[in-house]
Amino acid sequence: MSVHSSISIIVMLIASLAAGIDIGGSAAGAPLQPGEEPLGESAFLEAFIATRPPGPATSVVAHDVPGDGGRQIAISWTRSRDDGAGDDDVVGYDILRSTQPGRGYLLIDEVPPGVESYVDTTATDGTTYYYIVRAKDDMQTVDSEPSGPAASRANWFRTRRLNMFIILVLFFSFVLTYIAQARRGKELFVRRIPGLTAVEEAIGRATEMGKPVLYVPGIGEIDNIMTVASLSILTHVAKITARYESPLLVPTARAVVMSAAEEVVKEAYLSVGKPDAYNPDNIRYLSDAQFAFAAAVNGIMLRERPAANLYMGAFWAESLLLAETGFEAGAIQVAGTAMVSQLPFFITACDYTLIGEELYAASAYLSREPKLLGSLKGSDLGKAFVMVAIIVGVIMETAVAFGVAPLTAIADIFRNFFYVAGQ
Amino acid sequence: MNGRGEMKQKRTWQEHLQALDRRIIYLLIALAVVIPFFFPLGLPTNVTEPVRQVFDYVETLPPGSVVLISFDFGPSTMPEMYPMVRAVLRHCFVRDLVVIGVANHPDGTALGRIAMSEVAADYGKVNQEDYVYLGYMAGASAVMLAIGRDLHGVYPRDYGGVPIGEIELLEEVHTYNDIDLVVSIAATALAEFWVLYANTPYRQQVALGVTAVQALNFYPYLDTGQAIGLLGGMKGASEYEKLVNDLEEELGIAEARRRALPEAQLRALERRFREASIGMDSQSIVHAAIIAFIVLGNAAFFTLRRRRRAEELAESARGKGTD
Amino acid sequence: MNEVSLWTGFWPFTPERFAIWVGAILTLCIYSFLYRDNPFYKFAEHLLVGVSAGYWALIYWNANIVGQLLVPVLRGGVLLPLVPGVLGLLMFTRFFPRFAWISRYAIAFYVGGYAGLAIPSYMQARVLAQVHAAMAPTVSITAALLLIGLICSLLYFFFSREHKGVLGGASRIGIWFLMVGFGASFGYTVMARVSLLIGRMQFLFRDWLGLIR
Repeated sequence: MSVHSSISIIVMLIASLAAGIDIGGSAAGAPLQPGEEPLGESAFLEAFIATRPPGPATSVVAHDVPGDGGRQIAISWTRSRDDGAGDDDVVGYDILRSTQPGRGYLLIDEVPPGVESYVDTTATDGTTYYYIVRAKDDMQTVDSEPSGPAASRANWFRTRRLNMFIILVLFFSFVLTYIAQARRGKELFVRRIPGLTAVEEAIGRATEMGKPVLYVPGIGEIDNIMTVASLSILTHVAKITARYESPLLVPTARAVVMSAAEEVVKEAYLSVGKPDAYNPDNIRYLSDAQFAFAAAVNGIMLRERPAANLYMGAFWAESLLLAETGFEAGAIQVAGTAMVSQLPFFITACDYTLIGEELYAASAYLSREPKLLGSLKGSDLGKAFVMVAIIVGVIMETAVAFGVAPLTAIADIFRNFFYVAGQ
Repeated sequence: MNGRGEMKQKRTWQEHLQALDRRIIYLLIALAVVIPFFFPLGLPTNVTEPVRQVFDYVETLPPGSVVLISFDFGPSTMPEMYPMVRAVLRHCFVRDLVVIGVANHPDGTALGRIAMSEVAADYGKVNQEDYVYLGYMAGASAVMLAIGRDLHGVYPRDYGGVPIGEIELLEEVHTYNDIDLVVSIAATALAEFWVLYANTPYRQQVALGVTAVQALNFYPYLDTGQAIGLLGGMKGASEYEKLVNDLEEELGIAEARRRALPEAQLRALERRFREASIGMDSQSIVHAAIIAFIVLGNAAFFTLRRRRRAEELAESARGKGTD
Repeated sequence: MNEVSLWTGFWPFTPERFAIWVGAILTLCIYSFLYRDNPFYKFAEHLLVGVSAGYWALIYWNANIVGQLLVPVLRGGVLLPLVPGVLGLLMFTRFFPRFAWISRYAIAFYVGGYAGLAIPSYMQARVLAQVHAAMAPTVSITAALLLIGLICSLLYFFFSREHKGVLGGASRIGIWFLMVGFGASFGYTVMARVSLLIGRMQFLFRDWLGLIR
C-alpha cells in the first residue's frame, strides 16, 4: 500500500509539473487557435483528478436470480460518485468473485461505466460466493466493500416463461377434452376432405378398367405420424377395393410398415366379407434404400399398369420420380403428405393432393379413432385461438399506430403475452 | 389419336413437343450447364438483403470474437453448401475472428475438417491458435441445449483428440454468452434446430446457410429476428462470395495475393473463391432454358387442348347432322 | 482437397488422382440411369448404400458408444451414462418376440424425453414468436397481404366447419396463397437440383478431365 501511494504521489507531482509548464506556455501569450480552450487552473485540476482515486462502488448486493434454471447470481451496486458526476473519470468496473469473504477474489468480468448491475452466469449451484465491484479510472482502482454471501440454485418454475406454460396447458386441455368426448361417443364434426372423393373416384375408374390400384404408404418408418395416418387411409382404400374386388398393390420401403400394412389390408377385406379376395403377395417389401425403392415402384407402374396411384405418407426426393412416372403411365393420381418440400411436386404431377394437415384430417375423418379425432379438433381450436389473437392484436396495434393512445397500454400487455423470453 | 386407322397425319410442332423424349431434355440441360464452363458469361451478382444481413453482422464483430460454425450437411449437397462454408470461413479469417467448428450431422464430420483446414491454410491460420474443430456429437437438440450450459461438458476433446481443457483458445468460451454468432450450414432440419434450441432459449444470434430446397421454410424466422440472416443455396453462396471478394479487394488482400502467389496457384485460388459465382452462370442459362420449356410446353398443351375440343365439338355436330 | 487441386494430367497416378477416378466412374454409373436402368447404376447404388452404412456405423460407434458410454464409464468412473446404456440394450429384446415388450420402455423414455424437449421449443419458436411478430400495425399493402394470407391459409386448415360461404371464400384465397408459396418452393428446388448437377459437371470437366482450368 505504501509503495502504491508513494508512486501515486510522484505521478501527481510530475503531472502537476507538466501542467504547470503548459500553463506557462499558454500564458506566454501565444494566440489561441479557434476551438482551443484556454488552459489554466482547469488543466492542473484535470491532472490532479486523473491521479485521485475514484470513489468506490457502494451498496454491493448479490442474490440468486429467481425463477431460473440455476447458475446465475445477480449483482447490483450504486455507481461510484465519480461515474457520470464528480470527477467523471471512471472507465468501468471489474467484477471479482471469491468463495471466501476477504480474500481470494478473482476477476470474472468487466462492465462499462454507468452500469449498476451484472449477472454472473458461471456460478456453481450451492456454492457461496462473495463479490467485489472494483471501480477503475485511467490510473487507479478502488474496491467496494464485499457483498454478502450469495448462492445460486435452480428453481422449479421459470417465471418468465409463465405465458408459455399457460398456452401449453390450454392447448393440451383442448386436445384431451376432445379425446375424452370422442371416447364417450360424442359426435365430433369434421368436414369431409374433398381429396377423399378423388380417392374413391380413382379406385372406381381402376375397377371399370379392370386394372389394379397402387397404394404407396411413403418411405417413413412406422413411428412416423404420417405413416400412421397413411395406414388408416389404407384401411378405407382396402375396404373399397375389397368390395369392388380390384387388386390392391402396396409396395413398402420398411419391413415393419409392410407387416402393419398386411394386417390393415387383411382386416379390411375381412370386415367387408371378402377374405378370399385378399392376396398377401400384393403387399410387398421392396427396399429400404430410397432410390432403389423408387426405381422398383416405377417398375411396378410400368409393368402392372395400375390405373389409380395413391401416394399417402412421408415422402422425400423420390416423390417426383414416382409421380412423374405415374403421370407418364396415364394413371389417375392422388397424393397426400405433410412434407412441405415435396408438396409442390405432388401438386404438379397428381390430379389431387391432400396438403399437409389434410392428410391427418382425412385419416381422422375415416377412422373416427378418438385420439386422432381429438387431436384434430384440439388443434382446430388452437388454430382458432391463434387466429383470434392475431386479429385482435393487429387491430389494436393498428389503432395505436393511427393515434388511439388509450389503447397503447392494453395493446402492449396483450402482445407481450406472446413474447418468448429466453433462459 | 384422331387419325387412327387413317393415313398417318403429319404431326404438328405441338404434338412433337408433347411426345418429346425426356432424354433430349436431359441433354439440353446438360449442355446449358456445361457451355458456360468454356464461355463464362460473368453475369453480375445482385446481393439480396438476407445475405447482406449476415455479412454486415460479421462485420460488426471485433477481432477475437467467437463464431461457431456448424457443418450440418453431407457430400450430396456439397455444390450448394461448400462454397457457402468457404465464403463464411474466409470472412471470419479476414476479420481475425475465432472460429469453432462442430458437426451435428455425421456426414458433416469429415467435410467440416476438410473445409476448415483448407481455408485456414489459405489464410495462414493455425489449428488451436486461430480455430478449433470439435467434430461430431450425437443428439443435435440435446447438444445445442447443453452448449448453453457449458461447451466444455459437451465436447470433452477436439477432433484431433486434444482434451478441451488444454486448448487455450477455448479457455474463455463456455456458454452462448461467449459465442458471438452461430452459423449453421445445413442441408437438413438442423438449421431449424439452432433456431429452436440456441436462439429461443438462449437468445443466441444465429445465421443460416441452407439448401435452396429449404430456403423458403426459413423466411418466417427472418422477420421475427430469430435468425439474423439467410444464405439460400448456390445463389446465396455466390452473393456471400461476392461480398467477401469485394472486401478483400477493398482491404488490399486480393492485391497482395496477386503479387505474392505464382500464376497457376493464384488462378486456382481465385477460381475456388468464385466457385458458386461461376456455377451461377450455368444456373442462369438452365433457368432460362427451363422457363422456355415451361412456356413452350404450356403453349403446346393449351393449343392442342383447344383444337381437340373444337374437333370434338365438330364431331358431335356432324353426329347430329346424320341423325 | 487441401492442396491446390489443379489438374495435373493422368500421371503420376497419385492416391488423390485415384480417388478422382473412382468418383468420376461412379458418377457416370449413376448418371447412366438417365438413359435407362442398368447394372452399372445398380452397382453404384448398392456401393453407396453399403459405404454410407459403414461410415455412419463408425461415426455412431465412436461418438456414442465409445465417446459417451465407454470412455466416461470406464475411464472417468461416471456411472450416469449406464442408464441410457441399459435402455439402449433393451432395444435388442426386439429380436425375441416373447420379450419384445421390454423395448417399449426404452422407446417410451426416448419419445417422452424428446416430446418434452421439442413441444415447448416448437411452440415458442414457431407459434408464439410468429404470433408476436404478426401483431404489427397493418398500415401498408404488404402488411395487409401478409395478414390476409396468414389468416386465410390457417382457415384452409380449419376442419371443424364446412367450407361454405365466407369460410369457403376465405379458404379459397388461402389455397391461392399456398399455391404461390409452393410455386416459389418449386423454383428454389429446381435451383437446388441444378446446383448439384453443376457441381458434378464441374468435377467431371475440371478435376477429372481437366478440360477447364
